Amino acid sequence: MSGKNPLTLPARTIWHALFWTFDRATWQYDLMVIAILAFVWLTPPDWLGDPTASGPGLIGIVLGWLQ
Amino acid sequence: MRDCAVGGRDAREERSRFPYMTFTGAIGAACMFPLRAIIQACVSLRIHPNVLTLVGVVINFIAAWFFAHGEFVTAGFVMLVANIFDFIDGKVAETTNLASRFGGFWDSVMDRFSDLSLFVGVIYLYAQLGRADYVMIAALAMMFSVMTSYTRARAESMIDQCKVGFMERPERIVLVMIGAFTNRMGAVLWVILLLSVVTVLDRIYYTWQALKTQEAEAS
Repeated sequence: MSGKNPLTLPARTIWHALFWTFDRATWQYDLMVIAILAFVWLTPPDWLGDPTASGPGLIGIVLGWLQ
Repeated sequence: MRDCAVGGRDAREERSRFPYMTFTGAIGAACMFPLRAIIQACVSLRIHPNVLTLVGVVINFIAAWFFAHGEFVTAGFVMLVANIFDFIDGKVAETTNLASRFGGFWDSVMDRFSDLSLFVGVIYLYAQLGRADYVMIAALAMMFSVMTSYTRARAESMIDQCKVGFMERPERIVLVMIGAFTNRMGAVLWVILLLSVVTVLDRIYYTWQALKTQEAEAS
């Protein structure tokens, strides 16, 4: 956690997310699971052209309200 | 799935530094309660762990059939049953002292059949729907899922351990079940594909580094 270069933290975060060495049941693992579930459940299926999914997804619902 | 126990040395060290339980750890611990009873029942009935492995694969074939016919929720429930067998076989082998090298080999081979059958089911469905794009996404996800396992197996014939990368088999299985139960298979396939590609690259890089270190130490 070097305070000298603020760019190192985001760069290191991306590196650790891509070059994954954390075990299961750690807080890093929890964060990754939350990110994946957010993508799966929030992304409107139309954006991905999902052939079988039904319903707009949470982001689709919010966008519908905004429109 | 005999090598997929939740946690490990790193996890234990992590937990000692952060003494609260993670939510994935809590889910794992909660799932262990019914599984312990099932394991105990299998031990009492003296069911051979290799038979449990085989039963798991056969049930996964049934799940694949349901996927192929677009019955995702049913497929999800069948997968749940199949993966109970898949999970407990190793524990039963340990408890009954029937763990063997052949059992490990048999388990790995059957796991590949299970994985591939599920993807084949989904590919068949998308082909029936005339969706060549998702046939390709599912096929690529299948290819990189197999390569995830292969890179580790091949690496561990040369180095001690190659357990890097996020998208291992348990993660794939749980994601496919989530996709099935919540009808979000498209998004799940994208996640499996992208993270499997990253995992394969992680393993290639890790093995390259480890072999370079080994060679430097030897010379």
